Amino acid sequence: MQTAKRDVAVSMTGISKRFGPVRALENANLEIVRGSILGLVGQNGAGKSTIIKVLAGIIKPDSGSIVINGETVSALTPASVEKLGVHFIHQDRLLVPTATVGEAVFLGHEIGLGPFVSRRAMERRAADLLKRFFGMELPAGTLVKDLTTAQQKVVQITRALAQKASVLVLDEPTAALVKREVDSLFEVLRRLRDDGIAVVFISHYMQEIEKLCDRVTVMRNGTDVGTVDPRQTPIDEIIAMMIARDVGEMFPKRSVAQGAPVLEVSNLRLGGSFENIGFNVRAGEIVGLTGLLGSGAKEIVQCLFGLKNADGGQVKVEGRELSLSTPVKAVRDGIAMLPEDRRAHGVALGLSVRENISLASLRRYSKSGLVSRGSENQAVDGLIKELSIKTPHRDALVRELSGGNQQKVAIAKWLSCQSRVYVLDEPTVAVDVGAKVEIYNLLNRLAGEGAAILLLSSDLLELVGVCDRVLVVYRGRLAGSFSGPAMNSDALLAASSGARSNIDGVAA
Amino acid sequence: MSVSANDNTAKVSLRGFLAKYSVLIAFAAIVIFFSVASPTFLTPANLFNVLVNNVVMLAIVALGLTIVISSGGIDLSVGVSVDMASMVVVMLLAAGYSGVVGVAGGLGAALIVGILNAILITRLNISPFLATLGVLFIGQSTQQLATSGGQPIYLTSGYAADQFNAIARTALFGIPTPVIVLIVLVVAVHVLLHRSVFGRYVQAMGAQPGVAWYSGIRVQRELSMVHVLCALLAGVTGILLSATVKSYVPLSGNAFLLDAIGATFIGTTLSRERKPSVIGTLLGVLLLAIVKNGLLLVGWNFYWQQVGIGVLVFLVLAASFGLRRAAH
Repeated sequence: MQTAKRDVAVSMTGISKRFGPVRALENANLEIVRGSILGLVGQNGAGKSTIIKVLAGIIKPDSGSIVINGETVSALTPASVEKLGVHFIHQDRLLVPTATVGEAVFLGHEIGLGPFVSRRAMERRAADLLKRFFGMELPAGTLVKDLTTAQQKVVQITRALAQKASVLVLDEPTAALVKREVDSLFEVLRRLRDDGIAVVFISHYMQEIEKLCDRVTVMRNGTDVGTVDPRQTPIDEIIAMMIARDVGEMFPKRSVAQGAPVLEVSNLRLGGSFENIGFNVRAGEIVGLTGLLGSGAKEIVQCLFGLKNADGGQVKVEGRELSLSTPVKAVRDGIAMLPEDRRAHGVALGLSVRENISLASLRRYSKSGLVSRGSENQAVDGLIKELSIKTPHRDALVRELSGGNQQKVAIAKWLSCQSRVYVLDEPTVAVDVGAKVEIYNLLNRLAGEGAAILLLSSDLLELVGVCDRVLVVYRGRLAGSFSGPAMNSDALLAASSGARSNIDGVAA
Repeated sequence: MSVSANDNTAKVSLRGFLAKYSVLIAFAAIVIFFSVASPTFLTPANLFNVLVNNVVMLAIVALGLTIVISSGGIDLSVGVSVDMASMVVVMLLAAGYSGVVGVAGGLGAALIVGILNAILITRLNISPFLATLGVLFIGQSTQQLATSGGQPIYLTSGYAADQFNAIARTALFGIPTPVIVLIVLVVAVHVLLHRSVFGRYVQAMGAQPGVAWYSGIRVQRELSMVHVLCALLAGVTGILLSATVKSYVPLSGNAFLLDAIGATFIGTTLSRERKPSVIGTLLGVLLLAIVKNGLLLVGWNFYWQQVGIGVLVFLVLAASFGLRRAAH
C-alpha cells in the first residue's frame, strides 16, 4: 500500500522454482526495505533458504523478477549480487580460521600494491571499521580461530560493510550464540538499520523475531503467506501462519500396546550442550525428540550411541546400565542408530545390498571367522522381501538404489542385528513422499514387535503424525513433553522456539 | 531407429567388455607380442625363471598391500619390512643360530615394523600415508646405521646357511618351495579378504569408514591387524630374498614398493567398483613380471623397461576406467 513511499532496496516478485517434481518456490514475493529489519520465518522446507539462495545468485529461478535498487536484474551470480551491495552472512560458511581479522575483513578485496598485499594496512583499516561501526576494540591481528562465534559474526558483517553493503541478509545468525552475544548482535543490527541499511534476519526463534524485527514475512509451502508487524501480531498467530493444516494421509494410523520401559535415560549431561535430560521409552513406544539447531537435541542422540561421551548421567537398556563409550559398545548393547548423513554413516554406497545389511551382524552368519554365504543370503533375502526393498538383486550396489530404498537398507542392517532400541536421526530427510510413508509403516511395525524407538526430527508434522509422545529440547534442557491432543505442531514449535514451555509435562 | 539403437547397445556392451577385461586382454596381447618378438620368451625354462625370480617375492608383498589398500590405506614401508626381516635373519644365521630361529627372528622384525605402523595410525591418528612414510625413512636410516653405511652381509657356507638356502633351491613334486609358499599365501589371503568376517570389515572400512564405525566395527583394532599382516607378508618376502641371494643387501626392499602398488591398482580394473582383489593383484604382478622379462629378452635396457612399464600401467588403467565411464 505504502510501497511507493518506502525506500525499497530489493523487490522479488512471482519467484517460482522447481527441483524435479518438488516445488520449492511457487509465486513467492519478498520485499526488503532500507532502514528496516525484516524477519523471515517458516518451517523447514517452506522455501526460506531457497528464496535467499535465489537472491544470492546461487539458485536460478524458473520465473519471476528481481529488482535491486530500482533496477531489474537478471542472471544474478554471487559476485554480481555483492557488487549491487547485497551481502549474505550464511549460517555455516565461516571465515578462514588461520586468517587474521584484517585479512578476513578484506578477503577478496585485499589492500596493497599490485600483487603484493599489505597485511598491516588491512589490519589497521579493519580495526578502524570495527571501532567505527561497533565501537569494538578488537586487535585486527588476532586470528579468526581465536575469536568467539559472535565476534566472527561481527567480522563477517564488517567485511560486508567494508564493501559498502546496502542490504545485509543473516541466515540464523544466533544459532551458535549465547544470550549476551545475541543481545550485542542485536545492538549492532539496530545501529545498522538506523544508518539506513536494509537487514534481513532469518531465525527459528520467535522471541528474537519479536524483539528485533520491524516487519516479518512468513513463508509456507514455497510461497509468502503474509507480512506482519511482529510487535502487533501475537506469536501464536505468526506460528499459525507458518503451519499447513492439511496433513492428509501421510501418517498411517496404528495402535500398539506399550510394555515396560526399555530405554531409560536419567540426568544425562554434556557440558556446553545439554543438562539434566531424563526420559523413558517403553517397548512399542515411538518417542519424538525435537529442538532447533544448537538446542542440544542432536547431541543427546549422539551420546546415546557413544558418538559423544556424556559428562554424567545414566542410560539403561532393559534395566542394564550401559557405558556407551563407543558405537562398538552401543551396538553390542542393542542400540541401533539411523544416522542423519546416510551417505557418510548409514550405508556404504560402494558395497552391495547384502554386504550392507549384514555388516553389523556378521557374527551371526559366520563360523570360526568365515562368513557362511548360505545363511547370510537367506537372511538378507528375507529382509529385502520383508521391507520390500526395491533392488534388482541382493548383490546390486547400494549406490544404484533410490534414497528411500537406501534408507531401508540402513534399517534392515539393524533388523538383522535384532536391536532393542532404535535411535533415528532425521530418517526421512531427502527421501521422497512414498518412501516416507513406507518408513513410517516400518517404524510402526518395529514398535509393534516391541522395539523402543526414539525419533529425532525437525519435521513437526512428522513428529505429530508418527509419535506417541514428543520431547522438546530448548537451549540444552527439556522444555516440554507433549502427547495426546496437546501434541500439535503449534505447541511443539512454540516450545522449541522458547515461546512457551511445558515443563510440568516432562515428568509424564 | 531400431537399428541404430541396437547398434548403440552393441557398442556399449563391447566397451563394457573391453573395460572389464582390459587386464586380461592386455595380458594376452603382451604374451603374443613377446612370443613373436623373442624366440626364448615362451620356453618353459624362461617362464619358470620369471615365476621364481620375478613373480613370487613381488606377489607376496603385493598381497599385503592388497589388504592395506582394501582398507582404504597405504603402506609405504613394505620395503622396510622386507629389509628388516632380511637383515635379522642373515645376522642371526651369521651369528650361528639355526634356520628356524633365524626365520622366526626375521618375521619378528617385520612384525615390529607392522606394530609400529599400527600404533602410529590407530593410536596417534596419523594418516597411513604419512605414518608409513615416516617409518620408511626411519627404517632406511636404521639399516645404514646397522651396517656401517650400507655394507651387505654375506652368508658364508655353513650348516645353517645351507639349510636356509635350501628354502630357495628345493622343490616339492617339481614345484619350487617359494612357489609353494606363494600358493599357500594366495589361498590364505584370498579366503581372509574375500570370505572372512575380518575381510568384510576391511572392505567396509575401505568403502566408507564412517559406516563401518556406525555399524559397531572396532575400526582401530581391525586396522592394526591390517598393517601387521601387511608387514608380516613383506617379511616373508624378505626371508625368501635372503635365502635366494644368501645375503642381506641394505635398502633392497624398496624395489618392491612401487611395483606392488602398481600391481594392486592394475588388479582393481577387474572390479567395477575398482576394489583391490587377490586375483586382480596376482594378474597385475604377472603382467608386470612378463613385461620386464619380455623387454629384457628383446634387448631393451633397464631404464627403458621402466618406461615400458609406466606406459603399460597407464594404458591398462586408462582403457579400463575410460571405457567404463563411456559405457555408463
